[in-house]
Amino acid sequence: MTDVVTTLRERTRPGRGAATAGPRPGRSRRGGTRALRPWLLLAPALLVMGGLLLYPLVRVVAISLQDFGLRQLVSGRTNWVGLDNYVELLGNADLWRTVLPNTVVFAVVAVALTVVVGTLVALLLVRLQPVTRGIVTTAIMLAWAIPAVTGTYVWVFLFSPGDGLAVQALDALGLADAATANPFASRVSFYGVATLNVVHHGFPFVALTVLAGLLTVPQEITEAAIVDGAGAWRRFWSVTFPMLRPVFAVVTVLSTIWDFKVFTQIYLMPGGDGVNRGVLNLGTWSYVESFAQNRYGLGAAIAVLLTVLLLLITVAYLRLLFKEDEL
Amino acid sequence: MTPPAAPTEFRKATFRPSPGRKVAFLNPRDHRRSLGSRALLGLGVGVVLVFTLFPVWLMVSTAFNGRANAGSRSLWPEDWTLDNFAFVIGEGGFGRYLTNSLLVALGTVLAGALLALLAAVAVARFRFRFRTSVLVMILIIQMVPVEALVIPLFIQARSLGVLDSLVGLVVVYLAFSLPFAIWTLRGFVASVPVELEEAAYLDGASWGRMFWSVLLPLVAPGLVATSVFSFITAWNEFIFALTFMADQDNYTVAVGLRRFFGQYGTDWGALMAGSTLITIPVMVFFVIAQKRLTDGLVAGAVKG
Repeated sequence: MTDVVTTLRERTRPGRGAATAGPRPGRSRRGGTRALRPWLLLAPALLVMGGLLLYPLVRVVAISLQDFGLRQLVSGRTNWVGLDNYVELLGNADLWRTVLPNTVVFAVVAVALTVVVGTLVALLLVRLQPVTRGIVTTAIMLAWAIPAVTGTYVWVFLFSPGDGLAVQALDALGLADAATANPFASRVSFYGVATLNVVHHGFPFVALTVLAGLLTVPQEITEAAIVDGAGAWRRFWSVTFPMLRPVFAVVTVLSTIWDFKVFTQIYLMPGGDGVNRGVLNLGTWSYVESFAQNRYGLGAAIAVLLTVLLLLITVAYLRLLFKEDEL
Repeated sequence: MTPPAAPTEFRKATFRPSPGRKVAFLNPRDHRRSLGSRALLGLGVGVVLVFTLFPVWLMVSTAFNGRANAGSRSLWPEDWTLDNFAFVIGEGGFGRYLTNSLLVALGTVLAGALLALLAAVAVARFRFRFRTSVLVMILIIQMVPVEALVIPLFIQARSLGVLDSLVGLVVVYLAFSLPFAIWTLRGFVASVPVELEEAAYLDGASWGRMFWSVLLPLVAPGLVATSVFSFITAWNEFIFALTFMADQDNYTVAVGLRRFFGQYGTDWGALMAGSTLITIPVMVFFVIAQKRLTDGLVAGAVKG
């Protein structure tokens, strides 16, 4: 959730770390250790990340090429089946009718709402006096701080069938019948609640990042636009947005990555743990197929599909990030 | 979209003038603002505050509501009580879960700070072959979904017999928190003027002495910030804790909370009391880290 903070931070110091990193004149006497030292410093971290992030990634691909069930889990034997899992996965109507639409439509809607809400809040914040801004910022930080697990339970509580406060409110407005309505039964309302949850959790990052960007827009430019008679709408699209385009690009791509692989918020909702197969997304499907059905091979194939989609988005992210600067 | 290539410091000085000036310009009482637009701003503030704080309030008020289990659904506790908290900590076994989570999070923070700092110094202060590749790999690896890692790591941990162990969780969370910690600390290390290091060398310090006496104190604020985020990562993590921990005695808070959530009978008072206990430390940490975080955001956006 926070990695953009760093990456943005990095971008402000083009090549600064690199610039200072060259060999210092007059210190060449320890040439051998100097060459080795960065690797010695990196070794523990690389070992941990290699062993627990990189190697499992290779393993998951290997498992996706096997028939890996309870028997293989217990005996430790391998049963290679080539691309069978992928054939089954891509031939599965559920993938095309349920899981992919759930994943993609949810991500698109949630990202759009997150970025729009976050930007509106940032535009509000920038117009506030410091004290009010401080109060609202703290409130936003509190929303951001709610762990996914507890936040999800609060939204489920609000929408719990029959007596949830939100269901009661909808009933009072005549939009639903509290006696029969179950927001978690249908796919659309299920993901509606999930979207509220994810937007609530995700907009603070966008708001604070865009606010930081807004504060750097030179006032001379804004003033000039005002003098030229540009209204607020015109100023946003003709001045602010073009200047902050990289900021918007980064928050959009990062939100897309997070919303694509959303797991906890779906899994913890009623029926989200595989009971209601109509609300599965790629992440929960992979998990349920593996740990509830003991079909680790198929689960791994789904996970690989999700990873490939995320990698494509990540490549776009890196291109946006490093178009101008060297690392 | 880069503004003219002026050095960052210079642009900061030019475009981010003294707070006084900015306030004057953006002041809602500025002569340009009408009564209507001021009312609109007030309305906006109200809407944002309600939307952000409502779930928090609902969680806390339900936790204190003695009648939450008797079907009370209100925004204000009908019967103020600490019973829900007493129940989750006592009978609910939440004390145990909190201890487990705390141990796991502290282990992750300590190991993570050390490993990340060493790695950050390597990538920020040295230029070596494959440096860029290492950085790109660290960045890309953050995007790998945990759903893809949980299957192989579960199978691996099972065959190694380290399922159901808190140390196993620490090692996994360490790996998750390292990429972000390295990237953050790299920025902090790079911002320490290299002249300070040179001065230490001139005074006859070895590299180790320089690291300990010059670099470490100067990047301490960054270390605090990354530690806070490592802590939150470990504290909030759900999938691995859910998959690896079979014995209830080893549950962390995120998984322990599920005990109160049933398909048919959910103990909402207990669930919200447990949620409150989980959320409060994270909120405290977030507010602590807020200053540094927003500083980082502002610094980052200067480029914009």
